Amino acid sequence: MAILQKYLDLINADIDGEIGDSDRAELQAFLAESAQGRALHQELALLCSTLDDVDTIDPPPHMRHMIMNAVKPIRAIPQSQGYLKKLFAMPALTHAITFAVGVVLTLSLLSSGQISTRAFDDVTGLVGTIAEPISVGVSSAVSFDKPEVAGKVSLRRSGAMLILDMDLVATAPIEIEADYTDRTIWFNGFAQLESTGTRISTETGRVRLGIEGKRRFAVYLQNKAERDTTINLRFLVDGKVVHEANLDYTPTR
Amino acid sequence: MSKTDDTNLIERCIGGDRKAFEILLVQYERPVFNAAFRMLGSRDDAMDVTQTVFLKVFENIDQYDPSRRFFSWIYRITLNESINWLGKAKRLQPLKSEVVDDGKSLEQEIDSANLSKDVQAALMAINPDQRTVIVLKHILGCSYGEIGEILEIPEKTVKSRLYSARQQLKDVLTRTGAY
Repeated sequence: MAILQKYLDLINADIDGEIGDSDRAELQAFLAESAQGRALHQELALLCSTLDDVDTIDPPPHMRHMIMNAVKPIRAIPQSQGYLKKLFAMPALTHAITFAVGVVLTLSLLSSGQISTRAFDDVTGLVGTIAEPISVGVSSAVSFDKPEVAGKVSLRRSGAMLILDMDLVATAPIEIEADYTDRTIWFNGFAQLESTGTRISTETGRVRLGIEGKRRFAVYLQNKAERDTTINLRFLVDGKVVHEANLDYTPTR
Repeated sequence: MSKTDDTNLIERCIGGDRKAFEILLVQYERPVFNAAFRMLGSRDDAMDVTQTVFLKVFENIDQYDPSRRFFSWIYRITLNESINWLGKAKRLQPLKSEVVDDGKSLEQEIDSANLSKDVQAALMAINPDQRTVIVLKHILGCSYGEIGEILEIPEKTVKSRLYSARQQLKDVLTRTGAY
C-alpha cells in the first residue's frame, strides 16, 4: 500500500530537522505501525547523509586574483554605451581583432627574420584554438597563485603543433621565458584574446614574453618530428625569478 | 557572516571600496564555486560561472535590496547563471562530469571520488530545477525557508520539489547500481 503524502512529508521533514514536536509524535506513531514507512525513512536518511557527505572542493587558487583583476577597471571606465563600445563588444569583431593582432604580431616577427617562413602554414586556423580550446588535447597544465602572477598555463597539441595556452594575471610587469629542450621545435606564431600590449621575442629554443595585467594568449610551436619535450617556464620580475614550472609533452604512439 | 556584516560590506562596495568586495569574495567564492560545480559537473565551467557571478554582483551591487539577505541574492545569481550556462552547453556539447582531487589518502580518495562521481552523475541525470533544490539543501546547507527566499517560491513548493528530487536521485542511484 502506498504511503500517504502526509507521512512522506513528515519523513522528509524529520530527516531535514524541520519537524515540530506534535508532527514528530505523529510520525513516530506511524513508523511504529508501518514497516514500509520505516524502510523509506531509512533509505531517505541514507541518501541525505550521502548527499551531505559529498566533499566541498577548493576553488582554483588563481580565481580570486582573476576576479579582483577583472573588477578593477569596471568602476574606472565610464559606463557609456556608445556606438563604438557596442560595436567593439560584438563577439565577431572581437575575434576578428584577435585574428588581426595575431597576424600582425606573427608577420612582424616574420619580417624581423627571426623565424623560418615555413612556420606560418596554419596561423589563421590556430587563432580559434584559444577561443575554443576544447577542440585540442591538453598534454599538461599548471596552475599557480603567486603575489606577482597567478593563472593557468596549459600545453595543448593540435596535429604537429604544440600550443602554450596562457591565462594569466600579473600585478606588475613580468617577463616570461619559455625554454624548450628539443631544438628541432621552432616558434610558429602567437595570438591573444581581447587584449594588447604583450611583448614577444624569440631565439632558438626560447620564447620571451612581457605582460602586465590580465592576459589570455597562445604561443604556437611547431613540433613536426613529434618528439617528447619539456617546456620550462620562468616568470621574472625585475630580472628575479618569482615562479618556475615545467610542462611535458609526450606523443601518443 | 551576519546580515549586518554583509550590509556593511555592500555599502562600502557601493562607495567603490574594492577591499570590501574582496572580503565578500573570500567569504562566498567557495560556496558559489561548489554550487556551480554541482550544477554543471565541470570544474572549468564552474570557474567561468563563478567569475561571471562575482562580476555581476560587483556591477549591480547598487541594485541589491538590503531587505533581503545577501547570500540569497548571490546564490540566486549563481543558480540562474548555472542554468543559463547549461542551456548554452546543451547547444554546444554533451555534459561531462569530473572527479575532484581534494588531497586525501589513496583509499579515501578512491571511496570519496567514487561517491562524488556517482552522486554527481546522478545529479546531472535529474532536471535542473530539481538539481537546484538539492544543491541548495545539501551543498549550501539552506533551510526550507532560505530555499524559498532564494528561489522566490513558497515553502510548500520547496518541499514538494525537494522530495521529488530526492526520489528521482534515489531511483537513478539504484538503477546505476551505485546505491
